Amino acid sequence: MVELLLQFRGKIATAKLLILREQSQKELINILKNIRGKKCLVIDPKLGDSLSLIIQTSLLKEHGVELRHLSADHIQTDCTKVVYLVQSQPNLMRHICSNIHHDESKGLQREYHVYFVPRRTVVCEKVLEEEKLHNMVTIGEYPLYIVPMDEDVLSFELDLAYKECQVDGDTSSLWHIAKAIHKLEFSFGVIPNLRAKGKASVRVADILNRMQAEEPVNSSDMVMPEINTLILLDREVDMVTPLCSQLTYEGLLDEFLNIKNGSVELDASIMGLQQEGKKTKVPLNSTDKLFKEIRDLNFEVVVQILRQKATSMKQDYTEMTTTSQSVSELKDFVKKLNSLPEITRHINLAQHLTTFTSKPSFLGQLDMEHTIVESQSYDICFDYIEELIHKQEPLTTVLRLLILFSVTNSGLPKKHFDYLRRELLHSYGFEHITTLNNLEKAGLFKKQESRSNWLTIKRALQLVVEDTDTANPNDISYVFSGYAPFSIRLIQHAIRSGWRPVEEILKLLPGPHLETKRGAFSNSPSFDSLSGVSTGIAKVPDGRRALVLVVFVGGVTFAEISALRFLCSQEGMAYDLIIATTKIVNGQTLVETFMEKLGG
Amino acid sequence: MANVSVAAEWQLLYNRYYRKPELYPMRWKHVDLARHKVAGAPFGGPVAVIRDDSKIVQLHAESALRKLRLFNSAGHPLADAVWRHPGGRLIGMSWNDDLTLVCVVQDGTIYRYDLHAQLVEPNISMGKECFEQNVADCAFWGNGVVCITEQNQLFCIPDFRNPKPVPLADPMIDEPPRCIAVIEPQYTMSGNVEVLLGVADDPVVLVVEEDGVQRLGEGLLRGPLQKMVVSRDGKWLASFTHDGRLLVTTSDLTGIIIERECEADENLRLIKPSLPEAVEACVDASGHEFDVSRQRTLLRAASYGQAFCSNFQRDRIQEMCKILRVLNAVRNPEIGIPLSIQQYKLLSPSVLIGRLINAHRHLLALRISEYLGMNQEVVIMHWACSKITASLSIPDATLLDILLDKLKLCKGISYAAVAAHADKNGRRKLAAMLVDHEPRSSKQVVPLLLSIGEEDTALMKATESGDIDLVYLVLFHIWQKRQSLEFFGTIQARPLARDLFITYARCYKHEYLKDFFLSTGQLQDVAFLLWKESWEFVKNPMASKGSPLHGPRIKLIEKAQSLFAETKEHVFESKAAEEHAKLLRIQHELEVTTKQAIFVDSSISDTIRTCIVLGNHRAAMRVKTEFKVSEKRWYWLKVFALATIKDWVALEKFSKEKRPPIGYRPFVEACIEADEKAEAIKYIPKLADPRERAESYARIGLVKEAADAASQAKDGELLGRLKLTFAQNAAASSIFDTLRDRLSFPDVKVPFACLMSSE
Repeated sequence: MVELLLQFRGKIATAKLLILREQSQKELINILKNIRGKKCLVIDPKLGDSLSLIIQTSLLKEHGVELRHLSADHIQTDCTKVVYLVQSQPNLMRHICSNIHHDESKGLQREYHVYFVPRRTVVCEKVLEEEKLHNMVTIGEYPLYIVPMDEDVLSFELDLAYKECQVDGDTSSLWHIAKAIHKLEFSFGVIPNLRAKGKASVRVADILNRMQAEEPVNSSDMVMPEINTLILLDREVDMVTPLCSQLTYEGLLDEFLNIKNGSVELDASIMGLQQEGKKTKVPLNSTDKLFKEIRDLNFEVVVQILRQKATSMKQDYTEMTTTSQSVSELKDFVKKLNSLPEITRHINLAQHLTTFTSKPSFLGQLDMEHTIVESQSYDICFDYIEELIHKQEPLTTVLRLLILFSVTNSGLPKKHFDYLRRELLHSYGFEHITTLNNLEKAGLFKKQESRSNWLTIKRALQLVVEDTDTANPNDISYVFSGYAPFSIRLIQHAIRSGWRPVEEILKLLPGPHLETKRGAFSNSPSFDSLSGVSTGIAKVPDGRRALVLVVFVGGVTFAEISALRFLCSQEGMAYDLIIATTKIVNGQTLVETFMEKLGG
Repeated sequence: MANVSVAAEWQLLYNRYYRKPELYPMRWKHVDLARHKVAGAPFGGPVAVIRDDSKIVQLHAESALRKLRLFNSAGHPLADAVWRHPGGRLIGMSWNDDLTLVCVVQDGTIYRYDLHAQLVEPNISMGKECFEQNVADCAFWGNGVVCITEQNQLFCIPDFRNPKPVPLADPMIDEPPRCIAVIEPQYTMSGNVEVLLGVADDPVVLVVEEDGVQRLGEGLLRGPLQKMVVSRDGKWLASFTHDGRLLVTTSDLTGIIIERECEADENLRLIKPSLPEAVEACVDASGHEFDVSRQRTLLRAASYGQAFCSNFQRDRIQEMCKILRVLNAVRNPEIGIPLSIQQYKLLSPSVLIGRLINAHRHLLALRISEYLGMNQEVVIMHWACSKITASLSIPDATLLDILLDKLKLCKGISYAAVAAHADKNGRRKLAAMLVDHEPRSSKQVVPLLLSIGEEDTALMKATESGDIDLVYLVLFHIWQKRQSLEFFGTIQARPLARDLFITYARCYKHEYLKDFFLSTGQLQDVAFLLWKESWEFVKNPMASKGSPLHGPRIKLIEKAQSLFAETKEHVFESKAAEEHAKLLRIQHELEVTTKQAIFVDSSISDTIRTCIVLGNHRAAMRVKTEFKVSEKRWYWLKVFALATIKDWVALEKFSKEKRPPIGYRPFVEACIEADEKAEAIKYIPKLADPRERAESYARIGLVKEAADAASQAKDGELLGRLKLTFAQNAAASSIFDTLRDRLSFPDVKVPFACLMSSE
């Protein structure tokens, strides 16, 4: 079964996604080339993180670049040319302005370039204008809309998208997503089938169609587009899954060690390195073959696999030292030996993870998550959360469970709602009134106004699966040891047979849904390959599997990605999947985006 | 096919046959070319005619006023205009590349006319010297002119698109030149115009440039030249000599190409009986033929012959038919553009269409572009704009229908561009109506709508597009233009614009945002802003200098509280603000009495803990009562605080005060976390739930006690979990196995049961 899991994921999309990365790299280098001579490149730190997936620092240095991070502090450099590369967010303009004002006050004459990612905006330019700097800077654009995170995962790197849409009413991210997909269509062709669920997703579909009308992708020369279907799903539709603790290997690594741009940072000693007190970065992506093999598995199974590998290695070694070997056997052994660093790396990481997973507090939390998801006992859950607050456990931990509790109950009775809010303010401080306000606006922690339909949904979609065999899974529920991620269940239906069979369920969920054909295919009923598992039609001419692009508006977790990869590996699956998201999230990071202190 | 009259038209000239077919009998009346100045445009363009005022003529039945008249090549009148310009005699006129008629008068003023005899403003001047010396003669090329003054000074305008006169070098001649010709800048080495002058009594040609004069043709010419013409590509010069010879030389006058007295080559080439060549020749010939019936004869012959050649490209004939249909259409006397096939190819179909629409021949232009499969957008767009200009009296709605009827023929046409034209013509309302039909929303349309003052529509379109940047563009535009209250009213009705304004103002225009919330009655939002501001006092210590910190800060919070109290939906927030103000007061007092600045801005729970840690139990109790802290919370806080300072005696005393409302779990947890097993053992037996007891014993490593408690709980899962807790301890492991066997529980799976054993 494990082997089965490994052989999926074609290399189809990979090549093209890599081209995306190369294109973005080339565009950036061109920008730098066009500004002659030595220059100081000032990047906003958040963007710098994403850029590390696109270009190496060494390559930047080859192009005469001195690298700095943007902050309110002035830039110290000998370069007379300063190039700012920043996301188009007005708050970053403040730093640039104070930098330039500082240079002015010191009589420093410099040439300033501001490159906006992904495009210049009226708001940012307005700030420059009000600071009277508009004429001093040359403005440019670096159209980076998509960052490839791995061979099958794309990120729009919109950390705050969900909060901005739900709380601030700022839907910039939706335009960004549509633009990014439209850009993809220029290399993959117009995607003929579209399925969307949720207000934001349907809006993205609408904007995408407008873009296609305004600036059409020429599809005449592409007989069969490479991406067959686009599925858009709002995070709002399923806020249960991201709040549950992920139990896959990669998911757990993210929960406890926080995977950032495909790597984790931890104490060198944990990785068995003799550098006391130093941090080390461990890359986690599909180029690590062992990681590719185990990332999507339930952590329990990962532990077993690693143990097996270590044992067999030990056995081979003993045999090697005690008996005489043929040359070919030696060769095999050396080959195995090459995988030793990878095995060691993951044994270290897994061992480190167990220090977290064995904590009673974590086991208790898992237990509670399952109780909430199963909607078994309201009182037990309420008491548990109340106690967490009284014990002043970390606020994110509390809110995570509290939101899960509120979402599955479609809010809390007014009395409980007010009581818990008061206890939160008393325990953590009144400045958190803004956080509570944000959560209420987003509908994540609110007063109960209608009966919850979670039980109906849970039953209809078989979200809780008894007797889940995590070692030989036959359902996506293995990623949460018994709970099938709701979002992925919906997508499973959308891929297999479209929205129609689950229409009644969709109506119970927030936001409209949409199923439509696009471009030249909008009038051809014969091109209906997604209904039923019609493997024959779904193939691109040269026999590869067609692609489905799944876009999560508001974030996706590693566990959900794993579940999708699992679906891909199943027999009878006619498609390969590419996953795109505003950001890879987990319960903690998602809750953090809503946290805002009044005084902060 | 052999037709005597056809053959007879051809005349041998040097080694080529030529003919001069009559294309049209001119339809004009009363035009005696001898009495007129005439300018014909190349490429079958129009002809301009005006009475020559340098000649004394007898006026027949016509007005004494001179009229500039424009005809097509067939003499069909296009337009006319009365000539009333001052500035002396008309020296020369010519059509330039974009079919503007350029007229030079004596004082160096240049008047320009379009195809419809409308004067093109502004007039151009050849400069002060020309004005003073008078222009004597001029020579034109595609896009420029050279004038020579009566004092034989030369001035040129190299490009009418940038009409600045440039003086050329002084040719140092006393008498006016016999003849004048120019080589266009694009064909000269220097890239500047070269003027050729044939001077009196001197067998040379002077070449005048900006920076010098050369003498050419010395030794080659035998006498002065009477007339010169430069070929279109600037390579050759044809001249007429004083002794009546026609001379063709290279334009640098280094070699004679033809002298008309050369012996003619009388040998007729024999046509070889090569069929494909003959077919090819027929097709070619048809292209050059102007007479439609002869075209037909030639093509029929070609088509007949083609059937017998295997390798002839069949589409050649089709292609030729297509070209001829276009040529015949424009050669029609009504249109009057007698283009030859070479001219047509040189001009290109798109330029031809451009000329047709300039002549307002929109229908023909549309048909041709349709026939040739070209984009019809240019034609329809031009038509729509002309229609708007010409239809001042048609009401907006009617004109809109007329326009839409045609605009819809062309998918993807820019309604915005037509609207821009309407706006330029003062028809703002029509412009707005047109924009409404623009399917392309965003980038072009929104700024246009703003420029024509349609701000509400602009906001709507921007919102529809989903492009937040455009919404901001409109937002800032309206913000700048309107009074605050009007602006607030506008955005209040538009949720997206309102939310974006709030987001922006939150960062940059705090006070203004407050005004907005007040004007729209969102008092709770004002309250939140005030509450937020209260923290500025903490961040900015200057604000509190001189006065006690809490004074103004608490006032702000109380103001927020009273605003919250205005609406009944915000009772909770009002109460919270009230408590916050109260807390700050108490914290301030505590800081004064304890002389430690550690209270302000900590939470109520933290304040209680701090008091207990400091041993100030009375203060802790006071906070508890003031804020009605529940017994449950109180127990957790006090237990943890006592464990922090390891006051185990006080903890035990506290446990005995009364039966704790949430049992002894807080005590057990606090001791275990502080790693005080001995203390923990005091409280574990008091736990009510055997499961909790078992787990607590297990946590401090007491296997047997854990097992006992577990067996009371009769919980198989618990046993499995405990067994794993003691995985390294074989003895302990066996205890649990025995127990499980006794209770006959199956081997239950536990998540994360099998953790790594250290390998």
